[in-house]
Amino acid sequence: MADRVHASSMRRIWTIAFREFRHTVITKGFIFGALVMPVVMFAGIAAIGLLIGMQVTPVAGTLVVIDESGTVAGFTAEELTPEQVAKDMQDTLKRNSALKNWPGGDVAQQATASLPSIDVQVESVQDVTRVDELRAKVQDGSLLGLAIVPPELLNANSKDAEGNDLTYTLIVPTRSAPRLTGILEKSIAKGIVKARVQRVGTDYTSLKALLALPETSVRRMSVEGAEADENVLAKTLLPMGFMMLLWATTFASGQYLLTTTIEEKSSKVMEVLLSAVSPMELLCGKLLGYAMVSAVMLGMYGALGIAGLIAAAMGDLVSPGMLILMLVYFVMAYAFVSTMMASVGSAVNDLREAQSLVTPAMLILMLPIMLWLPISEQPNGWIATISSFIPPAIPFVMVLRVTASNEQIDTWQVVFSLVWGFAWVGVFIWGGAKIFRVGVLMQGKPPSPRELLKWIRMA
Amino acid sequence: MTTSAVNLRAVWKRFGKTEAVRGIDLDVPDGSLTGFIGPNGAGKSTTIRMIMSIIYPDEGSVQVLGADAISAKDRIGYLPEERGLYRRMRVMEFLKFMATLKGMPAAGLDGRVNAWLERVQLTDASKKRCQELSKGQQQKVQFIASVIHDPELIILDEPFSGLDPVNARLINRLIRDLHEAGRTIIFSTHVMHQAEQLCDRIVLINRGEKILDASMTEIHARFDPRTVQVEPSSHNPADASRLGALPGVERAQWNPERHAAELTIARDIDPQSVMRAAIALMPIRTVELRKTTLDDVFVELVGEAMPSSEESGNG
Repeated sequence: MADRVHASSMRRIWTIAFREFRHTVITKGFIFGALVMPVVMFAGIAAIGLLIGMQVTPVAGTLVVIDESGTVAGFTAEELTPEQVAKDMQDTLKRNSALKNWPGGDVAQQATASLPSIDVQVESVQDVTRVDELRAKVQDGSLLGLAIVPPELLNANSKDAEGNDLTYTLIVPTRSAPRLTGILEKSIAKGIVKARVQRVGTDYTSLKALLALPETSVRRMSVEGAEADENVLAKTLLPMGFMMLLWATTFASGQYLLTTTIEEKSSKVMEVLLSAVSPMELLCGKLLGYAMVSAVMLGMYGALGIAGLIAAAMGDLVSPGMLILMLVYFVMAYAFVSTMMASVGSAVNDLREAQSLVTPAMLILMLPIMLWLPISEQPNGWIATISSFIPPAIPFVMVLRVTASNEQIDTWQVVFSLVWGFAWVGVFIWGGAKIFRVGVLMQGKPPSPRELLKWIRMA
Repeated sequence: MTTSAVNLRAVWKRFGKTEAVRGIDLDVPDGSLTGFIGPNGAGKSTTIRMIMSIIYPDEGSVQVLGADAISAKDRIGYLPEERGLYRRMRVMEFLKFMATLKGMPAAGLDGRVNAWLERVQLTDASKKRCQELSKGQQQKVQFIASVIHDPELIILDEPFSGLDPVNARLINRLIRDLHEAGRTIIFSTHVMHQAEQLCDRIVLINRGEKILDASMTEIHARFDPRTVQVEPSSHNPADASRLGALPGVERAQWNPERHAAELTIARDIDPQSVMRAAIALMPIRTVELRKTTLDDVFVELVGEAMPSSEESGNG
C-alpha cells in the first residue's frame, strides 16, 4: 500500500516536472532567449567591429609643425609611418599582462589589422609669424593638423615660470576623428622627445633600449615545489566565468520558476492542480522540472566554454575534479535559488510584489560578484574564507575559490562548505516548502517577511 | 446499509481568529447527489477544500471513499470555484495532463478526451490553445478536467456560475448522467433553485456550522408550506390589504408579476381555512397553497441575508 502511494506520488511529480520542462525548453521564448540571443549578441559585437573597420577612412594629408629649431618635424615624420604606428600599438598592447594568453590568438596583431592606411607628410615651419595663415588652412581642411611647439619645450627641464609643465598646441579640424588625433598627438610628442635627446647629444635608440622595462616571467611555486606559469586569465577571468555560468543558469531557471508560479496563481490553475497533487508534490515537480531546464543551460554554455578553452589551447586549466565540484556546487546553488524563487512566487500575486521579497536575498547573492576580484586573487584570504560560509552565497563563492588555480584550497574547507551548504539547503527547502504550502492558496495583500516567518511556523 | 463516500467528524478550521468551520459532522451517502448550500462565506468552500485535502482541519477527521483524503485523490474529481487553465496549453494536451496527474494510463487517452469533447460539443477545440476559447468553452474544458478520470466522487463548486442558459442546461444534463451512472456528487451553490432541481440531499452550512442535513423529501415534509397565493379576478393590488385582514394571515404582499397576493399564514392556522375564507371574500381566479421551496427553507433557517440572485461568491 505504502509502495503504491509512493509510486503514484512519484508519477505525479514526474508529470509536473516534465510539463514544466517541456513548456519552458520547447518554446520560442527559451530557444530565442537561451540559444538565439547569445548568438545574436556575439554576432552583433562582431558586426559592430566589422562596421567600425569599414568606417575607417585612410589618413592622408599634411601635418605642419611650427618649431623654431626645425628638428621636431623630422622625428615626427619617423613616428608617423604606417609601420611605426602599428609597432607602437603592438608594443602598448603587449605590455598589458592581462592580454597575454588571451584566447583566440594575438590581440596586438588583430588590433593593428584594424588600423587605417596612413600617408602623412610632415612639414616643418620655423617662421612663427605664419601661424594665422596655417590656422586658416586647418580651418578649410587643407591641413590634417598644425602643431605649435614652443622652443622651451625642447629643454631638458621644460617648465614655465610657475613651475608647470610646458605644453605644445595641436590644432585639428573639428571633424578630425579622435583616433587620428591620438596618433598625431603621440607621434608629435615622441618627435619632441627625440629632438630633446638629440639636443643633449645622446643617441635616442640606445637611450630607449636602456630605459625599456624588462618583461617578467612569473613562476608560481606551490608548497609541494611544483612550478607553473603565471596566468592572469586563469587567476581571475576563469573563476569569474565559472561563477557567472553558475549564476546565469540557476537564476534563469529560478526566474522561470518564479514567473510560472505567479502565473499559476493568477490564472487560478493552482487550485485545479492542488486537487490532483499535494503542495509538496507540486513543489517537487516544479523544482525537478526547472532543475532539468537549468542543467540543459549549464550543459550547453559549459560545453561551449570548455570547447573555447580547448580551442585556445587552455583546456588544461579545467580539471575533471574541478568539473565534478562545479556540478556539486551547481546542485547546491540551484537548490538555494529555486526554493527561494518558488516560495516567493507562491506568496505573491505579481512580479512587482516578488521583487520586494527577493531583494534582500539577492543582495547576499550579489556578494560573489562584488567580491570577485579579491576572492579570485586570494582564494585563501579572509574575505574569501568568510564569504564562502554565508548561505546562500556558499556555492558561488566556492566556485570562485576552487577554480582560481593559483592557490590550492584546503580540503577541509571544501568538505565543510559542502556539509554546511547542504545543511542550509535542507533549511531552505524545509522553510520554502512551508511557505509554498500556505502561499499557493493565499490571495490579496502580499506577506511581509515577518508574515512569511509566521507561515513557516503555522504550516 | 448505506456507506458514506465522505465522512467528517468534529472538523474545525480556523484562519487566524476566524473560525471558518466549526465542528462539522457530515456523512455524504454513496451514490447521492448532495447540495452544499449556504450564504457567501459560510464555510462551504473551506469544507470542500478539506475534503480534497487541499487544506487540513485543525481538529477532527476527514475520511473520503474509505481512506484518508490524500490517498483517495485519484478517485475524486474536483471543479473548484476559482477555476483556471494553463492559457498557452492546447485543450487536448491540458486534458491529457490532468488525466495523467489523476493516474490515467497514457494509452487510450486521446480517444477518451475526444469523446468528452464531443459530449460537450467542443470537438473543434482540441487543438486550440485554452486562451483562444470563450469563457463558456473554458468552463466546459474545466468540467471535463474534473471528470476525465472517471472518478467515484465528484465535487463541483458553483459549476454553473458564469454559464449561459444553454451551457448551464448541458452541464446540468451531464451532472444528472454522472449521478445516474452511480457517481457520488457533491454540488456546492448558493443558488437555491439549482440545488432544488438537481439534488436529492441538502446540507446547509451557515457561519461554519451545519444547520441542515436532510433529503429533499425530508425537507418538504419538515417545512410545511405556509404561503397561500391568491389571484383575484380584478387583479387589483388593493385586494392584497383586504386579504391580509383575514383571520390567521400574518402578512399579505402583492406580487405584480403574478397579479396575485401572497399570504403568509400563522404557524397554528390550517391553510385550508384561509383558502376557503379568501374564496368567500372576493371573486378569485386561482388560489393555491405554494410548495415550500429551498429558498423558503433557507430564509427560515439563515435569515433574510441570503442573496436571491445568481451572483457568485465564496462559500
